[in-house]
Amino acid sequence: METRARLPLRRPERGRVLGGVAAGLAAHLGLPVATVRVALVLLVALGGAGVVLYVFWWVTVPSGDPLAAAEELRPAASVRLAPRLREPGRRLPVAEIALGVLLLTAAGVLVAIRNGVDVGGSWVLPALILLGGTALGWSQLDGVHREPGTWGGGTPVSVLRLLGGTALATSGVFLLVGREAPMEDLVRSGLAALAVLMGAALVLAPWWLRLVRELSDERLARARASERADIAAHLHDSVLQTLALIRSRASDSEEVARLARAQERELRTWLYDDRVTPGTSVAADLRAVVAEVEDQHGVPVEVVVVGDRVPCERTAGLLRATREALTNAVRHGRPPVSVYLEIGPDTVEVFVKDRGDGFDPDAVPEDRFGVRESIVGRMRRLGGSARVRSRSEGTEVALRLPVEAQEGSGR
Amino acid sequence: MSEPAGRRPIDVVLVDDHLMFRTGVKASLDDGVAVIGEADSVDAAVAVVHELRPPVVLLDVHLPGGDGGGGAEVLRRCADLAGEVRFLALSVSDAAEDVVAVIRAGARGYVTKAISGADLSDAVRRVAGGDAVFSPRLAGFVLDAFGATADVATGDDELDRLSAREREVMRLIARGYSYREVASELFISIKTVETHVSAVLRKLQLSSRHELTRWAAARRLL
Repeated sequence: METRARLPLRRPERGRVLGGVAAGLAAHLGLPVATVRVALVLLVALGGAGVVLYVFWWVTVPSGDPLAAAEELRPAASVRLAPRLREPGRRLPVAEIALGVLLLTAAGVLVAIRNGVDVGGSWVLPALILLGGTALGWSQLDGVHREPGTWGGGTPVSVLRLLGGTALATSGVFLLVGREAPMEDLVRSGLAALAVLMGAALVLAPWWLRLVRELSDERLARARASERADIAAHLHDSVLQTLALIRSRASDSEEVARLARAQERELRTWLYDDRVTPGTSVAADLRAVVAEVEDQHGVPVEVVVVGDRVPCERTAGLLRATREALTNAVRHGRPPVSVYLEIGPDTVEVFVKDRGDGFDPDAVPEDRFGVRESIVGRMRRLGGSARVRSRSEGTEVALRLPVEAQEGSGR
Repeated sequence: MSEPAGRRPIDVVLVDDHLMFRTGVKASLDDGVAVIGEADSVDAAVAVVHELRPPVVLLDVHLPGGDGGGGAEVLRRCADLAGEVRFLALSVSDAAEDVVAVIRAGARGYVTKAISGADLSDAVRRVAGGDAVFSPRLAGFVLDAFGATADVATGDDELDRLSAREREVMRLIARGYSYREVASELFISIKTVETHVSAVLRKLQLSSRHELTRWAAARRLL
């Protein structure tokens, strides 16, 4: 990587025509795809250099999203946790098409031979077999690159393809090289070649095994290092910052308590919670609302949630009303303030309770917008209801919103 | 709900592996509760509880030592003292697995360490009196496990369902009501509320309701 901005060379799934080589090159060089394609086509005229280069890159460059690959190279600290939404990649079943073309050609050649046509000497068939075997083996290489997790061809199909490819290519080479020689010689030299290969394999096997082991060790170490970096980054961003803030404001006990509480909540979420995908949980959204109010006003709020469902427009409205009720509770009431959210199959209910002296809801002046408009009015517009009950031992706001049944709601 | 003062204080053994926390708890408890012993590991806790046989043990959920079973292990190894010694679980964690583990191992209640000294003293008195202590959070867990809305009667084992009244009581506690407020809300006596809560605790401990285990497993992190 010469410059920081340059993307690593990958063959993207998206925007590929054949193998994604041109698209990958374009992304890597920062050129328009069309330019790269034209250049490759022009190179074909140069003694087929374009084709050779294309096939070379196709085989050697791993498939993948260049942006994602660039992301992986950056330190874990600055990486987004959630991947961006991507449009599904379009990929041609290249290997299958190539195999089909090859078989068709072979069939054509066989038919031609049968009809007594001499097809350019005896080298055509062996060459085709060799090409087919190579293609099969290389398609496997492509597959290995695609899924780094299954290094070494974990699936039986891929092993079969590799073995088949090797067998085909070997017999192709054999036929090609020894087409003039008598059968006896062929067999003998074949055995000799096999013996040499086995001897070499015997010598090299320990090295190969060690290489494999080292590779997996290294991969494991890298995963561990990235996890550690993730933790370190998190601790630095949140915990250390907060500790520094607390030290600098040690005299302001209220502020220190607020910082500590916010930090505790964040750390707890980070350590214990399943990280909820945003926009999938009303419960998580409510916790976020409560956390914000806690931070703003420095009053602890106890949250209890029963059930969960996917948020919609109306539950979002309900949460806005909840926030209003909660703000009132922490501002005018007395702690402990508690929020109870119950999500049933057909209703969502929220109760916000405080221990203040209470007030008379009817005596609230018209200009106090909070209760009348933001809570009662909003709930009515949503098709739900709000009830404010104020007694000497505290005020409770009950919000109720009927909802349609949803898959997996309730419990 | 403080019982009449002037009686001799309730003896308590405090089990927690953090000295600072034990000191803090001792300082915050009121006069009605006396800490007579402390322990900082599973083995020490089992020994101290067997030796002193206090009416109430304040037990941290996460404890070192023993077979690594934490507070639940202490409860199991003190099972021979059931009826004599009652346990109140204390934890920083609100994780469902912790709550369910200690309650099912026999604790009479569960409070988080954020509880105020007065509330904790009250909870100790209530546990000493044989009642269960349900925090709003624990009530929420119960409702989650048993189903918050009216449950279609599956299975005939009454341990596997909450009665309508028990469910009402749980919902009010989850909403932040004290026992007294629950009682006045439902027009029943505080004693009746306590009976309902104890019944729910028994169901929570004994129920084989598969949701309970399934739910605890599914939400091992809450």
